[in-house]
Amino acid sequence: MSFDLQKIIESKRARRRNLAARPIAEKLRMLDALRERELAIRGRAVHSDSSAVREDPAPYPTKPK
Amino acid sequence: MSIQVVIKTINQMQADGVIDRYAIGGAVGATFYLEPVATLDVDIFVTFCPEPGSVLANPQLIFDYLKARGGTVEGEYIVLGGWPVQFLPPTGPLVEEALAQAVETDVEGTPARVLTAEHLAAIALQTGRAKDKARLLQFIEAGVLDAARFQAILARHGLVDAWQKFERQFLSEGP
Repeated sequence: MSFDLQKIIESKRARRRNLAARPIAEKLRMLDALRERELAIRGRAVHSDSSAVREDPAPYPTKPK
Repeated sequence: MSIQVVIKTINQMQADGVIDRYAIGGAVGATFYLEPVATLDVDIFVTFCPEPGSVLANPQLIFDYLKARGGTVEGEYIVLGGWPVQFLPPTGPLVEEALAQAVETDVEGTPARVLTAEHLAAIALQTGRAKDKARLLQFIEAGVLDAARFQAILARHGLVDAWQKFERQFLSEGP
């Protein structure tokens, strides 16, 4: 345990590198768990017209005419 | 709730000839290269198979196919394995190229087609929302981009100016 900011930042980087290096199936299961947690936090009433909570679609550019 | 169910379902849909090819994009695609990136939905880029006798692609075929297999339609999404999935046609040259050059990855025995890291980063730059810029920074910090390949994509798709602006905003050492 340290309050040295540089050590904290490096520790965070190392943690992220470690997570990125995990097998893809494990990372996808983490996504499943993250989404379930986010749904629990937001509550299902966020989108009262729907049973699915989702993000705004990305505004991918349209094909030039 | 399982993204692997989504991938298996889409593979089957491709094998059944409903779509020509697909690739996973967005935050789920980024997770193939980075630490898991929390998201609420799955972006799937697809090219459609035209109906017999027609040159036009019909996305309704996807919805009908998936509804018959337990999917439920929620606006522009279809919910599979508990995940809202959005099917996106390649609406520009960058996404068309990204879809054509997507790579196949093995997920515990299941093949999954995913956009390359360089194309995901270029699409994030082009899309340009705050969270897209954050994702682009993640790709850079993680060191997973092939610089030459990335720069070539930027040049081909007119994104060099946007990249230089991004560099000045986020990667410049000075004030």
